[in-house]
Amino acid sequence: MNSAASLLLWLALVAPLPLGLLAWLKPPRRMRAVVLAASALPLATLWLLPRVGEGALQGSLALGGLSLHWRLDALAALLLLLTQLVLLASAAYAVGHRRAALSGDVSHARFWPLLGGLAFALGLIWVAADLLLLYAGLELMGLCAVGMMLLPGKAEAIRAGLRYLIYALVGSLAWLLGVALLLGAWGTLELAGLAAVAEPDATTRIGMALLAGGLLLKAAIFPLHGWLVPVHASAWTPVSAVHGALVVKASFFILITLWRLLLPEAITAAWVLGMLGASAVLWGGLKAWRADSLKQVVAWSTVGQLGYLMLLFPLLAGTAASVAAMAWQATWLQLAGHALAKAAMFMAAGNLMLSTGASRLVDLAGTSRRLPLSLMTFGIAAVTLMGLPPSAGFTAKWLLLQASLESGQWPWVAVLVLGTLLTAAYVFRVLRCSFVEQAPRHEFHPLPRGMDLIPLLLALAAVGLGLVAEWPLAMLRQGGVS
Amino acid sequence: MTVSLAWALGGLLVILACCCLLDRQLRRACLAFIVFALVMSFTWWQLGVPWLAAAEALLGSLLTGAALLHALGRAGDVPRLPQRDATPPRGTEAPAHWLAALAWLVLAGLALAALLRSGRLPLDGDVELSLVPFALLVMVLGLWAFAHHRHLLRRLLAFNILGSGVFLLLAGLAGPGPEVQGLILVGLAVALVGSVLGVLLLRRLYALEESVTLEPGAGP
Repeated sequence: MNSAASLLLWLALVAPLPLGLLAWLKPPRRMRAVVLAASALPLATLWLLPRVGEGALQGSLALGGLSLHWRLDALAALLLLLTQLVLLASAAYAVGHRRAALSGDVSHARFWPLLGGLAFALGLIWVAADLLLLYAGLELMGLCAVGMMLLPGKAEAIRAGLRYLIYALVGSLAWLLGVALLLGAWGTLELAGLAAVAEPDATTRIGMALLAGGLLLKAAIFPLHGWLVPVHASAWTPVSAVHGALVVKASFFILITLWRLLLPEAITAAWVLGMLGASAVLWGGLKAWRADSLKQVVAWSTVGQLGYLMLLFPLLAGTAASVAAMAWQATWLQLAGHALAKAAMFMAAGNLMLSTGASRLVDLAGTSRRLPLSLMTFGIAAVTLMGLPPSAGFTAKWLLLQASLESGQWPWVAVLVLGTLLTAAYVFRVLRCSFVEQAPRHEFHPLPRGMDLIPLLLALAAVGLGLVAEWPLAMLRQGGVS
Repeated sequence: MTVSLAWALGGLLVILACCCLLDRQLRRACLAFIVFALVMSFTWWQLGVPWLAAAEALLGSLLTGAALLHALGRAGDVPRLPQRDATPPRGTEAPAHWLAALAWLVLAGLALAALLRSGRLPLDGDVELSLVPFALLVMVLGLWAFAHHRHLLRRLLAFNILGSGVFLLLAGLAGPGPEVQGLILVGLAVALVGSVLGVLLLRRLYALEESVTLEPGAGP
């Protein structure tokens, strides 16, 4: 039973690679083909979900003298499901996007193997239980992401992509140096083994600081977010959606996993990370409010929304068990809600820009009548980002608020309130621009129906997740905070 | 390997890193990097890990070296990159880069000091441990060059040297066990792919805008 489940898990993890290669050789022309080919993967994860409820699935792969450890617990399984759904939606969207925006662009075929590699890397990160597998997954993910960002091939894209590449490479060296220190001090790369032997002494702290530096750079956490917005400005819409929804979050996931193993009691450092998150919420919100192109609004909003995740660090360090449990559930719900909503928002913004042929906010005038569906999708996705009921964002922020109040960490209450106000400000700025009626007449470019449908489904899923939040949260509780 | 051979190899690596990072003649700098990677490979061989030596020679020296030289070569109808780096050094223009480099070094130094004091490492004239000071020196050179240079090819060289310094430190602290070999192997593959991507992009950027730096508008 157990071995069958493990086999299925690894099949589901590896399957995106051959699928990506196949799509490279024979690019799919219909969305239906993509959905049919790849929908087996989320189904496999759904089958696995009840089986990891009782106890985590785990094992190790032996390669020569080296053994690599992996572990699938409830959190990893839920994240895997989320990844597969968002990637499936982006893949289907990419087919329509190519037809509508890039017909005749041969470089589009290269999107597919990179997407397959990215899917494999993300899966590897969710299930990895030692630092070597995490390293391999992190690097594969970073390189695939850089490759996808570069596909448009314009000068700005290349410059932004090169900056992203250089930062990602330096971040990975900082990570490797941190791993070197931990391995030198404790003699193991396995996470469970490290947790058993590692003491929070100076070497562990510094090793963790280097790891955290590399990961914060890759996760675009304030003040290391400089590369994120330019890279989105010229990227294709499905690539932006995948990146904003999943790639930056994988680094956060690794950071919180390692932090809880190695430095669970480091309260000052956790507060520093929380302050970085708070600054990200405010700065990202402000910049999104002042941005003048639609894509910049959405990209800056990613910087801001990532900040909420960082509040988990101070709420876990040295707080009561009930506070830690609430913050823990809130963070993963926020991550999932934001992943769905941000993918939807990037796609809706991409649709608006594609239809009007313009990217500045002032050029959105008149879209409320001509493109109501895309605008509505943008609005529904914004409901989750603002944290209005009944969305997943609401439940997550409500739990965060309660956790902050109960633990007496008042600053985060102010951050939550201000962040929500700022989000509302930039969302309504976009909507105001699109409701302007006396507009110069644009040529509105028609889009395939699926391109409107996919982001709408994602945005509705983000809202609906708030209604059925009890199901994933119960699974998380069963797995415990640890 | 004896301690004196480790010292000789470490010294040679530092000298080659200097040659690679200080030379404005880009072809010579790339050749220095290839020799540097070959000496790294020889060091792995002497540490008793022939597989890693072969991987370093193939991935680090041959393929990464070829990729870096490709940046300067002629291929197709793309204009050829100037063979000499004529960009002014960055100086104190980017304080954030210098601060990050300094933080990196201070953290690495403090951690090493703490690790040595804790006595968990075998200290009696260990061969691997004698590589650690050279690893630190190589990292200093790589970080300096990374913060100092503007030319993207030289920054890629600096990244590769910095990476080699981290590999050396890894082997020096933890010995050449299977975990270390796995980490270094992944690191070598990442450095290779990163260098290839970086070089291809640099050529493209030069073809589009005649620029070899990240700053828009700055000439070659």
